[in-house]
Amino acid sequence: MQKRKSLIKIKPKKFKDGEIVKVSFMVMHPMDTGTQKHKETKELIPAKFINNVKFNYNGKDITNMTVWESLSTNPVFTTYMKVDGKGTLKVTYTDNTGEVNEKSKKIKPKG
Amino acid sequence: MQRRDFFKKLGLVAAASALTPAISFASETKVVSKNTMSYQTAVDAITGGKTVTVSSKIKLKVPEIAENGAVVPVTVNIDSPMTENNYVKAIHILASHNFNARSIDVYLTPANGKAMFSTRIKLGGTQDVTALVELSNGDFISASQNVKVTIGGCG
Repeated sequence: MQKRKSLIKIKPKKFKDGEIVKVSFMVMHPMDTGTQKHKETKELIPAKFINNVKFNYNGKDITNMTVWESLSTNPVFTTYMKVDGKGTLKVTYTDNTGEVNEKSKKIKPKG
Repeated sequence: MQRRDFFKKLGLVAAASALTPAISFASETKVVSKNTMSYQTAVDAITGGKTVTVSSKIKLKVPEIAENGAVVPVTVNIDSPMTENNYVKAIHILASHNFNARSIDVYLTPANGKAMFSTRIKLGGTQDVTALVELSNGDFISASQNVKVTIGGCG
């Protein structure tokens, strides 16, 4: 299984309990549609794209996404989230070829 | 071993080795996507035949002219209180002329606090980008915008 670079960004950096914050999840993924041809060999590149992304905060699924081919290479998923105490935000993503990866970030509200 | 036999065997081995790569190439299956879906079938699959009303509650932010179709930023903002009784259930982003019209389906919960989603999509050519939104009471609302694409991004 290939290790992928991914990142969870929270804006603003310092936040209080109960505040609504912006969460962005980025991942380095080719997102091949299966219709593009290789520039030199002229062969079709087999499809490889993320088909499911899940945002899980303290054991509760807050956002679930079904993804299709037409997302850009190295996709970004941005949404909002209500901070509800200390915990971890876990993002799980699945590939159409069966690749499963996850990334987590600790959430520490101040004040 | 006689000379004649030796050459026979040599010939067999050469034939076998020449054949094997051809066989392995032929049996190798390519994973090519089969998710072809037209715009109308995608809308029917999502709504299940319900009527969709065009609403000004949705703020769809897409560039009018996209130079590169491979990276088109899309932001959907919906005016909703996001409480237990009244929230946005799902946001579907559709591109009318892509070979698979569905781009992403986002299922939100009241824990999100704000009904907003943003991502980057690929567009094969000049077409309409639609945000189809399902509310918690089962209603469907939508907003769409035409995007002019100079270079397509779907190969």
